[in-house]
Amino acid sequence: MTVSSTESPTQRPPLADPFPEGSVAAVEQAADGHTVLTVDRSHLLDVLRRLREKPELACDLLADVCGVDYPDREQRFDVVYHLGSLEHGHRFRVKVPLGEDDPVVPSAVGIWKAADWFEREAFDMFGIRFQGHPDLRRILTHEAFHGHPLRKDYDPSQRWLLTEKDTMAPRWATEDQPDDEHMDTVVLNLGPSHPATHGTLRTVVRLDGEHIVKAECEIGYLHRCFEKMSETHGWQQVIPYTDRLNYCSSMINGVGFALTVEKMLGIEAPPRAQVVRVILSELSRIMDHAVCLGANLVDLGALTNFWYFFQIREEIYGLLEKCAGGRLTVSYARIGGLAHDVPADFEDEVRKLLDSIPKFLDDVETLVTTNRIFRDRTEGVGVISGEEALAWGWTGPCLRASGIPYDVRKAHPYMGYENYDFEVPVATTGDTYARYLVRMEEMRQSLRIVRQALDNLPDGPVITDDHHVALPPKEKVYTEMESLIWHFKLIFEGIPVPAGEAYGFTEGANGELGYYVVSDGGGKPHRIKVRPPCFAIYQAFPKILEGLMIPDAIAILGSLNIIAGELDR
Amino acid sequence: MKNVATVNVDRGPIPWTERIYLGPIVRGLGVTLRHFLRNVFGKRDVATIEWPEVKRQYSERLRGRHILTTKDDGSLRCVACYMCETACPANCITIVAEEDPEAPVEWEKRPLLYEIDLLRCVFCGFCVDACPKEAIIMSRQHEMAFSERSEAVVGIEELRQKGPIEDEDLGYRPYF
Amino acid sequence: MRQPDGSSSFLTTRVDAMLGWVRKNSLWPLPFGTACCAIEFMSVVSSHYDLSRFGAEVVRFSPRQADLMIVAGTITDKMAPVVKRIYEQMAEPRYVISMGACACTGGFYRAYHVVQGVDEFIPVDVYVPGCPPTPEALMHGILKLQDMIQNGETQHDRLKHGKPDTTATAG
Ligand code: SF4
Ligand code: SF4
Ligand code: SF4
Repeated sequence: MTVSSTESPTQRPPLADPFPEGSVAAVEQAADGHTVLTVDRSHLLDVLRRLREKPELACDLLADVCGVDYPDREQRFDVVYHLGSLEHGHRFRVKVPLGEDDPVVPSAVGIWKAADWFEREAFDMFGIRFQGHPDLRRILTHEAFHGHPLRKDYDPSQRWLLTEKDTMAPRWATEDQPDDEHMDTVVLNLGPSHPATHGTLRTVVRLDGEHIVKAECEIGYLHRCFEKMSETHGWQQVIPYTDRLNYCSSMINGVGFALTVEKMLGIEAPPRAQVVRVILSELSRIMDHAVCLGANLVDLGALTNFWYFFQIREEIYGLLEKCAGGRLTVSYARIGGLAHDVPADFEDEVRKLLDSIPKFLDDVETLVTTNRIFRDRTEGVGVISGEEALAWGWTGPCLRASGIPYDVRKAHPYMGYENYDFEVPVATTGDTYARYLVRMEEMRQSLRIVRQALDNLPDGPVITDDHHVALPPKEKVYTEMESLIWHFKLIFEGIPVPAGEAYGFTEGANGELGYYVVSDGGGKPHRIKVRPPCFAIYQAFPKILEGLMIPDAIAILGSLNIIAGELDR
Repeated sequence: MKNVATVNVDRGPIPWTERIYLGPIVRGLGVTLRHFLRNVFGKRDVATIEWPEVKRQYSERLRGRHILTTKDDGSLRCVACYMCETACPANCITIVAEEDPEAPVEWEKRPLLYEIDLLRCVFCGFCVDACPKEAIIMSRQHEMAFSERSEAVVGIEELRQKGPIEDEDLGYRPYF
Repeated sequence: MRQPDGSSSFLTTRVDAMLGWVRKNSLWPLPFGTACCAIEFMSVVSSHYDLSRFGAEVVRFSPRQADLMIVAGTITDKMAPVVKRIYEQMAEPRYVISMGACACTGGFYRAYHVVQGVDEFIPVDVYVPGCPPTPEALMHGILKLQDMIQNGETQHDRLKHGKPDTTATAG
């Protein structure tokens, strides 16, 4: 065992009143381990600044900012900040209630850079205005959009059409450059349909010669309204939607969501389900990294590796298909466990993978890791320091490549990760090469976890027998009246998740994948906010680019592994 | 931060063995050559599947096109209880119920219309999980293509099981 | 096979047949991949399935050099003008395969920002269901398109021969 401490996942922070009298309206210890502070907006910045700066609080990670709409309340909106401290391991949730006619709060951009896009999203979705935000525009929806779609009174199917003439360009892109030091600068549009942008990402850059002087990202080209859709579907039906967030590692998303709702229900999946979830999540992580690195290397001109990585991926797909019936969108996790047990030859199949994957990894290492062309193209390119990365809200392999060993599996173990012996790969240089190395090593560590999990795969059921949550076994439904009634109730009424809220976070392939779930006690979620790791990572991209060249931009973008489905939801 | 076990993956400056470029290149070429030779002369573990001549063997859990199962007398098992329709996240099932005149008990229902829009369907299998009668299951038939959107809305006749159930290419269905 | 009004009234001349044969065996696809389906499209062109065996290996990312657009993934309202523009830039005759539930109908995203089927603004020849369609399903769709080209049943042919475009109103 390398991890010595086994304390509860989220520690209680010391609250020896670090805030001035009267600034915090209510303090509450939530069941999910977060300390919830309710703050009036006049004190918000003061409280946030103290949370960040007081050494005993040290909340250096702003994980998420989001809105919630409670149409029945007098103060209709809540703005919710999710904060975490890497040093102390504690978590805060700061809530600011706002009335409908004056939904304005001061912007936290000055405290955490990460607030930038999160606040823009809250503006776009709820119409909450952040005073002092440098560029408060819509982010996910398009220019011709009217209204704020996540408000409860917005009809989910109300569309607005965008025509080509209203398509956008950043203001600075059309302005003349009065800078006479330069002969001329060129504005270049990368994407949203560009072979090297991996899906629907768009970056507008201003070039001076070969160098990028200014860049801006436009996102939302794959905004599929996950959050609104989840409000119109039952709890269990959200699982297929989560698959399509980060579609390269769909298992991890489903598991993260199931864990959060299980937390709210106060149940746990049976041990066998937990271990199978770990195995498949780690294999999905390998798959995700394989696609990321493969695509990154193709962009740099190394095509062969792509085939090797895809062979890994295709083999893992085979296994997932045997377990779940789908290759990419598995829909295998369920609230309370798994959809059904793994097939009989599961262990052999996984062992085969454990043998074959390292061979492909070795091949790739031989081809790439020591290759000087590759090193020359990636070393020192796209450097970001640890503090800077954290301020932008980075998590996951990209943060670890900058020297901060934050991994949710270690810092807040879930699903029994504390029982596995594995190491967190870190690098210190924070460049594209470091991100490549970290991902390569992570795949090997994941294999280690899979091996241990497989050795300790317990027998037993894979889904809870609480029939408020999980469908009864089929043979009982066919034969017993009582089970049939449970079945009927579950299908038509959904899972009675108790009213309340929880923030559940797991280590996704790209970093901390959080689900902030609010239930009003009904069969459908009141609000689900996903904290997508890429969202935070991608907002720093334009800043990293400044001063670099276009080919570097492509190399960096690939190494950040931006998955549009998760970025735009 | 809690003390976590970390492994540093930094590689430091490029050593001269790599700087002269030759070693890594030769080794890299070795890898590709090994794959090439093995595929040409050795085991021939070529990954490519020669579809359509050779089909990949999918498992019996593959979620393909739906089948409406029938009883021994050839009538549908479905009792038009709307559970599949309710459980479907895509809302792609349309059922219209009617009274079953042949039923032994009163107020048994059967579907007058049962349509699935295969182009809306996301093949999640929730309808199969929801059915209390094992009246809807999935086949492994996944190679479909339509030239009209209306062609993809399939009704009872297209979905009904043809012949004995063992002869169907069975895919995802309830496991006991 | 599937002439919309059931007629077989137009003559397929030898030249047309020849052209059809040539076109069908040298489709140059332009993958317009946006989401999960694009990942599955990658499988189709990579080692396990290898699309080049059907004469469609030259995957082009430039619309000017392609004649088959494979729309793979969800198209949002924000993306729609881009898709349309790219389609218009392609050389004639051009064909469209819409891959996956989202591109065909919007799938289970009946939502405020999702196009309910790309045939809202571009003519689609072949719809491939699935979420995502398996690689086999997409290849099946490509073979079907090849047949349609050979038999002159594509949207391009329908328009050329003055047949009404029936898909835009269907579904
Ligand atoms: S597979 Fe899923 S989407 Fe398709 S009909 Fe069944 S429940 Fe609906
Ligand atoms: S759940 Fe089964 S029995 Fe009920 S309507 Fe659907 S197919 Fe018929
Ligand atoms: S059809 Fe399914 S797999 Fe394809 S893009 Fe849509 S959600 Fe993703």
